[in-house]
Amino acid sequence: MAVASDSRVASRALMRIEGAGRVFRMGEVEVPALVDADMSINAGEFVVILGPSGSGKSTLLNLIGGTDRATCGHVWHGDSDLAGMSDGELTEYRRTVVGFVFQFYNLIPTLTAYENVQVATELVANALNPTEALAMVGLGERADHFPAQLSGGEQQRVAIARALAKRPALLLADEPTGALDLPMARNVLAILQRSNREQGLTIVLITHNPAIAGIADRVIRLVSGRVAEKRVNEKPLAAADVAW
Amino acid sequence: MRALHRKLIRDLLGSAGTLVSVIAIIAIGTGSFIGLGSAQRILEASQQAYYRDYRFADFWVDVKKAPLSAVERIAEYPEISALHSRVVFDVILDLEGEVRPLTGRLISTPDQGFDHTINGICLVRGSGFSDDRNEEVILSEAFAAAHGLNIGERITLILNRKRQSFVIVGTAVSPEYVYMVRGVGDLVPDAEHFGILYVKDRYARDVLDFKDSCNQIVGRVARGGQVDVDTLLDRISRDLAPYGVIETTPRKRQASHRFLSDEITGLGVSATIMPAIFLGVAALILNILMLRLAQRQRTNIGTLKALGYSDRRLMAHFLGFGVVVGVLGGVAGMGLGVGLAYAMIGVYRTFFQFPEFLTRAQPDLLLIGMVISVVFAVFGAARGVREVLRLQPAEAMRQKPPERGGTIVLERLPWFWRMLGFRTQMAMRSVFRNRTRSVTAIVATALATAITFMALAMYDSFLYLVDYQFDMVAHSDVDIGMRDEASMPALYESRALPGVDEAEPVLGVRCDLQHGAQSRRMTVTGLSTEHRLTTPRDASGEAIQIPDEGLVLSRKLAELLDARVGDVIELTPVRGRRETRNVHVASIVKSFLGIDCYADLHYLSRIVGESLAVNSIQLAVDPVQSAALFREIKELPNAQGLSVRADAKHNIEKTLVETSVFSIGLMVIFAGVISFGSTLNNALVEIGDRIREISTLRVLGYRPGQVAGILFRQSAVTFLVGLLLAFPLGYGMVKLVAAAYDSELYRMPVIIRPVTVVLTAVLAVGFLLVAQWIVYRQIAKLDWRAGVQVKE
Repeated sequence: MAVASDSRVASRALMRIEGAGRVFRMGEVEVPALVDADMSINAGEFVVILGPSGSGKSTLLNLIGGTDRATCGHVWHGDSDLAGMSDGELTEYRRTVVGFVFQFYNLIPTLTAYENVQVATELVANALNPTEALAMVGLGERADHFPAQLSGGEQQRVAIARALAKRPALLLADEPTGALDLPMARNVLAILQRSNREQGLTIVLITHNPAIAGIADRVIRLVSGRVAEKRVNEKPLAAADVAW
Repeated sequence: MRALHRKLIRDLLGSAGTLVSVIAIIAIGTGSFIGLGSAQRILEASQQAYYRDYRFADFWVDVKKAPLSAVERIAEYPEISALHSRVVFDVILDLEGEVRPLTGRLISTPDQGFDHTINGICLVRGSGFSDDRNEEVILSEAFAAAHGLNIGERITLILNRKRQSFVIVGTAVSPEYVYMVRGVGDLVPDAEHFGILYVKDRYARDVLDFKDSCNQIVGRVARGGQVDVDTLLDRISRDLAPYGVIETTPRKRQASHRFLSDEITGLGVSATIMPAIFLGVAALILNILMLRLAQRQRTNIGTLKALGYSDRRLMAHFLGFGVVVGVLGGVAGMGLGVGLAYAMIGVYRTFFQFPEFLTRAQPDLLLIGMVISVVFAVFGAARGVREVLRLQPAEAMRQKPPERGGTIVLERLPWFWRMLGFRTQMAMRSVFRNRTRSVTAIVATALATAITFMALAMYDSFLYLVDYQFDMVAHSDVDIGMRDEASMPALYESRALPGVDEAEPVLGVRCDLQHGAQSRRMTVTGLSTEHRLTTPRDASGEAIQIPDEGLVLSRKLAELLDARVGDVIELTPVRGRRETRNVHVASIVKSFLGIDCYADLHYLSRIVGESLAVNSIQLAVDPVQSAALFREIKELPNAQGLSVRADAKHNIEKTLVETSVFSIGLMVIFAGVISFGSTLNNALVEIGDRIREISTLRVLGYRPGQVAGILFRQSAVTFLVGLLLAFPLGYGMVKLVAAAYDSELYRMPVIIRPVTVVLTAVLAVGFLLVAQWIVYRQIAKLDWRAGVQVKE
């Protein structure tokens, strides 16, 4: 285990975060959720951001995903700074670059699995076919089911299919196994790991569960809104070997 | 189909229950726009076509007797395109089987081509005059129909003191009597007691001693130039002065035309106000619905934004709700509007006599209605969604922070607050925290109740008007008009008629009244010094005595002349010596029909410069002997017209009841939809928002009724506030309507009976209770076991 050298990765960095911070205003009080974050996400990397509840990891993910804006610092995607983008540019960024997977799946309850994926594929020109995307997560047979008719693990796989279908450069997963039991969680992690290894998809996964950090190429640990540790896993675990 | 479209359809179906009430309110708004607008256009087009095809006159000149040579000189005025002279008299009609003598207006008409003359008549039945005999009559269709008179039957007229039998050769309608009233001062047509009788021109002139002369000229002005009819009439008056000009009437003051035109104008106003109210409320309710839908779909919206959907696209998606609701409301409104237009034309058929109603479809109105409907719905939807769309996706995906939990204003009164009990406290907190929702509920209740109140109060107004005019001012049972002025002995003769308890003389003199720049030609009514059968009343309702000198004006006339008590008015009788006298205004009285000017009979005679004369007699009679009295009146050679107070009152009341049932019923139903729809909608939104709270109470052992009670308390609070606001608002609406209808024809008293207040409140509570019953059913049906597990 060694501390990653930033100079080594800078050349193939997909995202660079420099001094990024986010302050929430609650009435009169200002709450800093993320302070002076610096890091890079390299193309093809599987990064796990680890931290307890309230450590600022979701905030960081939102800044990287362009669903929120930093109050200070920079979030670079290539040469573009997300902090300086208009709403329209951010929308375009989310549309073409990022795929999201959420803890509670965030499927639209009135749409079937197929249609939930279709919601994403309709947005981009070179998207996967929804059937194909659902087959990738092993749900080809359940395409016509509504979210309420699927288990938690199945719903999360639909959400992954929805994210993958857009062929994003970067997949952001916010506690994707947080609501699942171990077998289901392994299943979901395996799909993510496969996408990373076979298709070279860059993945940033946030979790409070240290057990999951084992599958990452690199782990960034947050404590109280600050980066506390960055480490490289020389031998990442296979998803099937994750246990807690 | 795109996935978002599918979502739209499923979301719509999912909230169908709440959307129905919005769609219904939009449908009423659009329907009233289309219905009232179509009725207005149909009425206006029918009027214009009728006036054009049958050459409705631009002016009328009544003279005592003018030679045709004088008329021919006037016909040469360049401003006049056509002129027609005729003989017009009110006569007594004696119908077989009819105890009462009836009043008819005899109009001399060319034997041939009567449909081509000015104020041409349009035959409805029969073939018109023949060459066989002189004693032929064409009756106004409504009168013939009211009495079941058929072609070939005979009627008896008293013409120039002689009874004369006529054969009915046709029935007809005429643009002059679309609204068949005797003149200004009549409120509703009375086809049973008043008919128009068209008789052959030459014959009428012969028998009425008008050979080579006439007593009425009707004319049309040249269309090209801008002809000022008032100026033209002044000139004609001067030229015909030697022949005794009694009255000049430009079209704008002709009674039938005014009633019809006022109705068309009124429809136009209603077609703007009604839809605005309904669509405004619908937009408010839709706003709440959409805000709630958007809030419930916060996470969806955040997710879609995170996926890369732009605000514009999501806005379009949510506006889809507005569009669908607007289109559905618009389509329902079209159906309702067309139905309403037909129903209104049905009612108008009983009032307005047209050869045909031009009931064309109004595609542009339908289209505009649809556009308005969609615009209001989309506007309502947009306001609701905007707030959620403004959020950053990350924020939107987080659950909405808990509602503000601070204390509400009522809690500052602890003793009062503690008195309420926790269920009322919950309801009050909800009312105060959901301000937009509460304000909408209050506005909807206030508007709906105010509309009901206004509809019922207008009925009160008309009832009061009828009571006032026919019981408080007029007390005579029978009024007899005389063809020629009679001297006082005629009065004594009338006292000898069977069953007559009292008889009072009346002298009506056409006079010009001038005050400053304002002037009016009208009949000044001379009442006997001891007048008891006509008692004009002042503003406070006290009967006043006509003073020995000076004039008593009705408020409207005083307004028209811009005169106050004590002002001096120039009075010039249009007959006799025509000397202008300065007379003062002695008092001003309250009157709701026409315009009135009273003076003492002796004083008026002196002004005219004649010895005491009368031209009508008012009788108070013993009803038991009325048949005998009517028999005698039919034989009176000098009688020209007759009116029976009870008949006139009954006719107005009957007409009012018939039309009020339609219009009040419609207004109350419409108001009910607003009130019911808004209450129900708010409660259903509340159930959706508080499903967990409601479920928890059910788990704790509360019965559905007790839970519904909390929501009911909440509705009751906004309802009561709305109800309290409704009465002043409704009163304001009544005042506005009264101001809008304040004309020479009639005024609406602003009178509200206590029963109207009670009935309004009862109806409003009824709508509330029906809505609450549905809410109760919803709560009883609610799956509370699933409800407690709802994820926050």
